[in-house]
Order: sequence, then structure tokens, then C-alpha cells
Amino acid sequence: MMDSKQSGQSRIFSGWRIFSPSTLLRVSPQVGLLLVNIVLWVIFGLVSGGFLSSFNLFTLGRDIALFTAIGLAQMIAISMGEMNLSVGAIGGVAAIFAGWLMQVLGVPILPAAILAVLLGAGMGWFNGWLVVHTNINSFIVTLAMASVYTGLLLIISKAQAFSNLPLGFINFGQASIGFFSLIIFLVLVMVVLLIVLYRNSELGRWMLAVGANRRAAQFSGIPVGRTLQIGHALSGLLAGLAGVLFAARLASALPSIGVDWVLPSFLAPVLGGTVLSGGVVSVVGTLLGGMLVESITNGLNLLQVNNFWVLFFQGIILLLAVLLDRLRAVVAQRKGGSKR
Amino acid sequence: MKLRLFLRMRSVARVDWLALLVLIIVGALGLSLWQSRFDSSYNMYVLLRSISVVIIVGFAQMVVLAVGELNLSVGALGGFVAVVLGMMLEVWHLPLPLAILLALATGLLAGLLNGLLIAWSGINGFIITLATSSAFTGMSLGLTQSIPFYQLPASFTQFGESAFGPLPYVLFVTLLVSLLLAGLLGKTVLGRQLLAVGGNRAAAELSGISLKRSLVWVHSISGLLVAVAAILGTAQLGSAQPSIGADWVLTSFAVPIIGGTALLGGSVSVIGTFLAAMVIALMNNGLILIQADPYWVQFLLGILILGSVGLGQVRVAWRDWWRKRGKEEKKSYV
Repeated sequence: MMDSKQSGQSRIFSGWRIFSPSTLLRVSPQVGLLLVNIVLWVIFGLVSGGFLSSFNLFTLGRDIALFTAIGLAQMIAISMGEMNLSVGAIGGVAAIFAGWLMQVLGVPILPAAILAVLLGAGMGWFNGWLVVHTNINSFIVTLAMASVYTGLLLIISKAQAFSNLPLGFINFGQASIGFFSLIIFLVLVMVVLLIVLYRNSELGRWMLAVGANRRAAQFSGIPVGRTLQIGHALSGLLAGLAGVLFAARLASALPSIGVDWVLPSFLAPVLGGTVLSGGVVSVVGTLLGGMLVESITNGLNLLQVNNFWVLFFQGIILLLAVLLDRLRAVVAQRKGGSKR
Repeated sequence: MKLRLFLRMRSVARVDWLALLVLIIVGALGLSLWQSRFDSSYNMYVLLRSISVVIIVGFAQMVVLAVGELNLSVGALGGFVAVVLGMMLEVWHLPLPLAILLALATGLLAGLLNGLLIAWSGINGFIITLATSSAFTGMSLGLTQSIPFYQLPASFTQFGESAFGPLPYVLFVTLLVSLLLAGLLGKTVLGRQLLAVGGNRAAAELSGISLKRSLVWVHSISGLLVAVAAILGTAQLGSAQPSIGADWVLTSFAVPIIGGTALLGGSVSVIGTFLAAMVIALMNNGLILIQADPYWVQFLLGILILGSVGLGQVRVAWRDWWRKRGKEEKKSYV
């Protein structure tokens, strides 16, 4: 599997050349993403009357937040050069577990949600434990474990949904301040925490080092195994959180939650400039990537584009985004080379 | 040196499928002693019918794994080919042979597109095939509005159901494809080159094998195989469903990996893939016969994948340890 490490390097640009066309190509993908987002919002706002209505902004904001949470779960795994194909399975299990705790056992909302999110972390940790102790590729481990988790969930729950959830939980999913859903604030807290984690904590730097070069990380004394396990646990935690939030949004814990998360989970971080081979991460980029995809989906829906075609456009967007990013990296590298 | 490495890999693969064969025999014996229904000719037919498509889906992933890449679009492409086939037969009323040829061409072209995108852009195949899989699924859902095509020619659906004793006709197509693929990978220059790329990419490039060409080749072959699987699956189902490949991605990895195909490339096992599909079918069949929850299939499939990869790791570690010991002993003699 090939990937370029150069794209990380290309993000460094000197301030005074910002406005030349060649530097526009070299501008960080996050700034580019922000511009694309703004342009899209202007277009959709002009073309479709409903896009900027407060109700649409509320649902769009909530969808962006949920999508970002799923993307962050994957981003953590990618930053370590790993993958987590079980984000959807973990999200589904956490959602059903929370629903079961609240509806059947009558556990209060907050403890139930926390327990479900912790179960997600536990499942993620087990993925990490398997990766470290069996030395099997994380792709296979999480692919197989996704099947195991979903299988267990369906066997135990008999594919039953929990729809008599406490009113407080359902209200939380619908609650808003202005037209910002409460879920947005929760996800923004996660974004800030993750930025701090990657910028200022030892663990964050370990995770990036493990992603950039695992052998080098090992030789420089980083506890690679422990880092991988904690990272996978964090990924599971966020997937679990996304599952619980999804249940709140749907006002029902359905076993189908998470079934189609794998593609979206990669879309947001990869669009946001997180390098698939690990070592380079962008938390804000993941947020912007999630925003881009959900805005396009929402705008296309408002323009009466059939839901089935939206999936097609998501694929094309991902393809164009990675191709453009690749082009940007190649051009930047060429410019950098000729300067010398 | 290279040849020896290759031979050793092959011998490991051989042990792999022996274990699978034993597992199948024990499983079949156990099931037939436990559940007399297992032996019925109809049950044999059902069993063989179900593996026919699964094996080809596994091959579609196996050829890509051979060079150390992966193809996440097998299921989506399968659905797309089924939709194209259905449209050609039901909407455009094309003659069956022409429709089948065009469906095969669709798969081949889609695979070629995957391969070209990966080779030209140099982007990880995981992301490219993830993106194209979404595009394929979107197209097949958009074209059909998720409504399957039911008006297929009777001769086509009959072919999917008919059997020679307990041997379904479809199985013969699968056998033919297996033979061709085994020949391609084992006996031709191209096949050897592909395995060499998977075994050691740098070494293969240095010895003049083009990596980009290999990527385009495997993805094209993979697309073609997916098309074969989709056509056979459509014939069996009697309708062209856009959802035909919904669960193919997991299966496509499970079958070759359980069959002993190395994830990092360079070593494939056609027979192993064949037998692994048999193991999975037996598991399914057994679960149905004992009337277990159908959800157990998913759970056990996951365990089976992990178990077989884990076993492979143990074997490699064991062999390394054995070899190291052997060397040290030799040294001490000198």
C-alpha cells in the first residue's frame, strides 16, 4: 500500500506568498475545505430556499455533529496507522446497550449513556489488545471483530429495538440552543479534547509517532503496545458515543444503527487531511470534512436529488478529494524541488 | 533464494488446505451422523449451490490480495453488474449471450477503472475502492430505485436451478473458473509476476516487473470475477437485485484468508479458497439443520477469520523458532 508522507510536509508554507497561484495549491487542505464549505453554503443558500431555514440548520448541524463523531472515531485509528472497521458495530452495540439499560433496567439516563460509551471503549480496547498480542493486521482484526460484535448483539438482543426510551433522552436528541442542537456542543467538546490530546499530551504524540514509524517509535522507547491499545479504546469510546447520540437523535435504539458507517467514517478524516498511513492528523479537518459531506447530502436532498444518488455523489466526492489532494502534494513537491 | 522462499510459502499453503480438508470431512461426518437430513441429495445440492458463488467472490478478493492490495468494491460492483444485466434483459430485451458478455465487460471495465485510478494516482487502494464502491452502489440504487428486475429469460433462471444429480450446473462454471485461475496464477508469466510483486514489491520492481501494470491487471481480473459471481448469483436468485453483493465484502475476505492466502501478498491458494468456502457453507448448513439463530453465522464467521489468521501467525512463529534452533545447533557442531 502506497501513500505519500509528503503531504504533511507540504502544509508548511511561507506567509508572504499566500496569494500566488502556486501557493494556493500548497495551502493546507483545511483552509481549502473551509473555502469549499463556504462556497457550497452560499450556493445552496441561493439555490434552495430551505437550506438556511432555522429548522434545516438545526437538523444539518446535528447531522454534521454525528457524522464528525463517527469520523473522529476513525481518525484516531488512522492517526496510529491503524484502521477500525468496527466503528459501526461498536456504535450499534453501544446504542442497543444504552437502550436496554434505560428501557428494561430503568437505569437513569446519564449513567446508562456513560456505561454504554464505556462498553464502546472496552470493545475498542479489545480490538487493540488483539492487534498487539496476536500481531494480526488491524484491518483483519476489526473486520472480524465487527462481525463478532454485530453477531453477538443480534444473538443476544434478537434484533429487537428499544423504542420506549425515557423522555429526557429523547428530548436531549431534539433539544437546541438557538438553532444549534445540543449534540453539536457535545461533539465540539470532543473536538477540543482531541486537539489538546494531539497537541499537548504525551499520549497524543506517542500515537502519532506510532503511526509515522512504528519501529522508530519502539526504538525511541515509546510503549507501542500500550499506545495502540489506548488508541483503539479511544476510537471505540467515540464510536460508542456516536451510537448513543444516534439513538438519541432517532429517539429509538435500533440494531441497524452503525450498519452503514464504514464509508462515512473514512470520508470525514481523509477529506480533512488525515493521512491514511498514519502519523499526520487533523482534528479540525475532520470536523470540516464532516461538514462538507453532510452539507452536500443535505443540499442535494433539498434540491430533490434522489437519496440513492446521494451515495453515488459521496463516493465521487471522496474520489475527487483524494485525487485533488494528491495533485496538490505532487505540485507542491515539484515547486519545492525547483526552488532548490 | 527467492524460489526457495516461494516454495516454502507454497508448502505452508499446502498444509493449510490439508487442515481444512480434515475439518470438512470431520464436519460432514459429524453432521451426517447427527442429522440424517444432511445426507439427502437435496441438501447436497443446496450446499454445493451455495458455495458456487461464494468461491468466485473469494477469488475476486484473492487475486487482489496476491499483490498485497485489497478491493472493497467487490460487493458494490456485484450489485452494479446484476443491475446492468437485469436492465439489458428486461428493459432493452437483448439476447441472453450478448447480455452476459456485456455484463462481463462491465465488470472488467469497472475493475480496470479501479486499477487505473490506483496506478495513476498512487493513492492507497483502500480509499479508491471504498470511494468507487460507494459510487457503484449509488448508481445501481439510483438506476433501479432499489426495485429488482424480475423478468429474466426462463432459460437463464433454469440454468441457475438445474442440477446434474446433486451437482448444480453453476458449480461447473465455478470449477472451470477455478481451473483457469489456478492456471493463470501458477503457470503463466503474468501470474508469477503478480505473485512476485506481492512477495516483495521492491525486489519485483528491481527485476523489471511494473508495479502499476500489475495493479491494473489484478483489479481488472477481480472485476471480471465479480461479474461472473454476479451473473451466477442472479441466475440462482431468479432476479437481478441491486443488493446481491451486500454481504460480499466480509465473505470475500473470509474465504481466501481462511483458505491460507497471505494478507500481505505473494502467496495464494486456489484450493484453499475452494475448501474455505466449503467450510463456511458447512457451518451455515449445520446451523440451519440444528435450527440455530441465523445471527450465529455472522458471529462464527468473525471467529473463524481471527482463528485462522491467528493459527497462521502461530505456525510462522513456530517455523521461525524451529529454524533458528536448527541453525544454532549447526553452529555448535562447527
